[in-house]
Amino acid sequence: MTPQALDQILEGRRSQPNQLIEVLQDIQENFGYIPREAIKSVSQELGVPLIEVYRVASFYKAFRLKPSGKNVLTMCTGTACHVRGSDLLLDYAIDQLGIKPGEVTPDGLFSIEHVNCLGACALGPIVAENGSYHKHMTPSKLRKLIETISHQKTEDAHHAQA
Amino acid sequence: MLQYVNVSIDGAIIHAVKGTSVLDTAVEYGICIPHLCHVPYLSDIGACRLCIVEHVVNGRSEVTTSCTLNVEEGMVILTNTDKIRKLRRNLAELLVAQAPNSRAIQDIALRCGVTEVRYPFRNEDCVLCGRCVRVCTEVWQARAIGFVGRGKDRHVEYPFGIQPDFCKQCGNCVQICPMTIPPCDGPMKPGEEYLCRKCESQLMDETPGSCTWCKLGEGFGCGRYV
Amino acid sequence: MPRLNSYRELEHLRERLREQRQSITTTMMVCGGTGCRTSNSQAVIDAFRNELSSQGLDDSVRLCVTGCHGFCEQGPVVIIEPGNTFYCHVSPEDAFEIVYQTVVKGELIERLLYEDPVSGERFRTEAEIPFYKAQERRILSQNRMVDPCSIEDYIVAGGYTALPRVLNGVAPEEIINEIKASGLRGRGGGGFPTGRKWDECLGAPGDEKYVICNADEGDPGAYMDRCVLEGNPHLVLEGMMIGARAIGAGKGYVYVRNEYPLAVKHSRIAVEQARELGLLGDNILGSPFSFEVDIARGGGAFVCGESTALMASIEGKVGEPHPKDVHTVVDGLYHQPTTLNNVETWANVPSIILNGSSWFNSKGTKGSKGTKILALTGRIKNTGLVEVAMGTSIREVVFDIGGGAANSNPIKAVQTGGPSGGCLPLDKFDLAVDFDVLAEAGSMVGSGGMVVMDEETCMVDVAKYFLEFLQDESCGKCLPCRVGIDRMLEIITDITEGRGRMEQLDLLEELADTVSQTALCGLGKTAPNPVLSTLRYFRPEYEAHIKEKKCPAGVCKALITYWIDPEKCNGCGVCIRGCAHGAITGEKKQVHVIDDQLCQKCGICRSECKFDAIQVT
Repeated sequence: MTPQALDQILEGRRSQPNQLIEVLQDIQENFGYIPREAIKSVSQELGVPLIEVYRVASFYKAFRLKPSGKNVLTMCTGTACHVRGSDLLLDYAIDQLGIKPGEVTPDGLFSIEHVNCLGACALGPIVAENGSYHKHMTPSKLRKLIETISHQKTEDAHHAQA
Repeated sequence: MLQYVNVSIDGAIIHAVKGTSVLDTAVEYGICIPHLCHVPYLSDIGACRLCIVEHVVNGRSEVTTSCTLNVEEGMVILTNTDKIRKLRRNLAELLVAQAPNSRAIQDIALRCGVTEVRYPFRNEDCVLCGRCVRVCTEVWQARAIGFVGRGKDRHVEYPFGIQPDFCKQCGNCVQICPMTIPPCDGPMKPGEEYLCRKCESQLMDETPGSCTWCKLGEGFGCGRYV
Repeated sequence: MPRLNSYRELEHLRERLREQRQSITTTMMVCGGTGCRTSNSQAVIDAFRNELSSQGLDDSVRLCVTGCHGFCEQGPVVIIEPGNTFYCHVSPEDAFEIVYQTVVKGELIERLLYEDPVSGERFRTEAEIPFYKAQERRILSQNRMVDPCSIEDYIVAGGYTALPRVLNGVAPEEIINEIKASGLRGRGGGGFPTGRKWDECLGAPGDEKYVICNADEGDPGAYMDRCVLEGNPHLVLEGMMIGARAIGAGKGYVYVRNEYPLAVKHSRIAVEQARELGLLGDNILGSPFSFEVDIARGGGAFVCGESTALMASIEGKVGEPHPKDVHTVVDGLYHQPTTLNNVETWANVPSIILNGSSWFNSKGTKGSKGTKILALTGRIKNTGLVEVAMGTSIREVVFDIGGGAANSNPIKAVQTGGPSGGCLPLDKFDLAVDFDVLAEAGSMVGSGGMVVMDEETCMVDVAKYFLEFLQDESCGKCLPCRVGIDRMLEIITDITEGRGRMEQLDLLEELADTVSQTALCGLGKTAPNPVLSTLRYFRPEYEAHIKEKKCPAGVCKALITYWIDPEKCNGCGVCIRGCAHGAITGEKKQVHVIDDQLCQKCGICRSECKFDAIQVT
């Protein structure tokens, strides 16, 4: 994260404490998480006590304080998806990838998140992969999705080497 | 120029200062309403819910916390009905089941009428009353600690978990905490938690000494240090 | 486009735009809402654009990318007017055929028409489809005609006709009286009379009042606000403008949850376009009324749907609710009088002003007037967004519109009102969708979420699900919510894992009662509802878990066993390959066996078996 990038985000918002969440949103969108240095800068530039910025960053699910994997698998656990078995999907992902929600696989490829409703309820269960939604998911479809992504990664690595 | 309003608390008409809370007014006039997160010189947040009272309005009664309810002319408040006693007892039961290892919490539970605890005991070292955070923010204005996280994960922490250099090392957070008073008989072992029924609170919020005897209404009837 | 300085200029613009479109003979509406996009409607849209271009039809055919039509399962959806032709499951490859056959030659393509799942009948037009026929789509039908990113579409369709009526020479009290007379009640869950709310706000002292649109829509299973805001943001804006004019607000916010990026995008575009035309800003249409709107994004917190938490969030703070002994209409955003209403509530306002309060309350019941959008999902055939008149029975919604059970499992219950609501059993399905009727029965209309459950849904698991959800979303400030929900969950988990005792049911009820009376905000106060309603109507299921240590629906993992039916298994080995725990053994073409000790009940074998041989009891 460059100081220039952060500067752009803070443009027009300095000394305005009520812009805190918007600023953090932009930082999250651009860098994938909120680095410690960003929290310190935001505190200074917006005029919000450091502990308050830290508090807001830790309160809202949208903000991650640690980097996530390259492919973020977000399972929708809303009611409609739940009655169609989203529980099994989440368990399956945890099992297959060996990590808990919020963690990253050792190879940095995957992280799992769960969200309480994406609003595409008629097509559930939904799994979002880096923002694109997959509908009517089942454990076997999820297995294929994970395999495809891992395979793609290996192929890319081979191409990079060759 | 102080303005006054007349409010009815447990049937007694009280000449209260406008702008003060029902809790402050009641305690001032000797009606004990149990409380944990309220501290006279700090802001009120209504987190512990122990100070609940019945606010009678248009024939209906609403259960609300007296620390966040300001007195208004003609207000009718009931602090010790069967309903309130039961709710308070249940809340205190939840509280002591979380953190039995504190004299203050045990004392409160006892005084709220808790005789048995129907939940498995947990041994938390913080009840999230927020006294430490408020004294640091409002009195010392150091802002070295604060609430972080949400829901079950809510806890008190330094920024990033590291004591900052702007912590004034005043020790007030420790002094004001209901958990740091020596626990009864030392730390409890899992499976051996119990209500000892002898602990006195020793929470020195107001002046040390005898409690405000309940002259008006039945009140709490504790007769101990408050 | 130049700024409009008077009502007359707006009408001239409307006329001019309509004239410009006179050469259009056909309009093709393709859904670009989140649901259809997930089904790849963007590719369909692109394909149509290419086809229309290459067939030289750009001047006579208008391609309108609309918002959600509510029938997401059938997407991508395409509607062609005139003729009201309704095509579903459209793929990019169909573009040529649709343009050539239907648009040019006027012939229908049978295979793309909607097919009724029960009778197999194909329906030619949207109006005939039973799903739509049984509805009263006052608000949702307005999504058909507009591209949400085009203020011109909204104006051509007749939008911004209500606003001018309240700008000059109309007293605020007149506007508020009309809303009061209509009987409109909050559509977000509270059901509070809207007119009364506006009245209190108008009377509250303060010089900087605010209006807020609550688009946080946190109820899992509810997506009607997304649909309305994504699909017709100007309708919501117009409602807010009218409200602001009524209470004397100069600034408004649309608070959109973080998980709805398309709604955020479309709201921003709508505000920009309105500003450009002078419908937002100073002296709107030459009147003394000035009004500005900003879009605020949520941070991923269900609790921010609560009014004080939402306002704290706009102020850049954590979304922790505050006690509401003084209402937010008096002391709200930045301690100023604030009127906060839900998306759907605002969306109803323009038509009340246009058509009058009597038109609005001509539908509905004594206590609940107008229509309500429901998100009908779960184990039924037709899922989607449904708009019905208040007073419609649950039975009509679930069976006539929803089409009944999705498969052979009979329907058992319906969950309404999200995590604050409750579950109602089949014998209560004659109850009407009505604020007071459902509340009395132990549930609520809430935001309109309606999840249908069948025999394979465990009601104890449903209570557990909602408690887990609320525990995740609780802000954690007050004791009864933070600890109370945790302890309720502890008891229910004991029950679902076979450690339940009968006296725990009494404790559960007492604890639920305590939490509902002492919690600080609505989240905590209504948290016990799913528990209490399932205890009330489905107690036998709880008792089965406790006394017999069985889960009748076959859901609670600790109480079920997966086994292979020897009559159906043909030894194909697909399940063995799928099992991640090595729990299945068997030779080729021999009946396979599941080792109960190793089985983790993950369900992957069951979802892969093509012979329905894997059973759960």
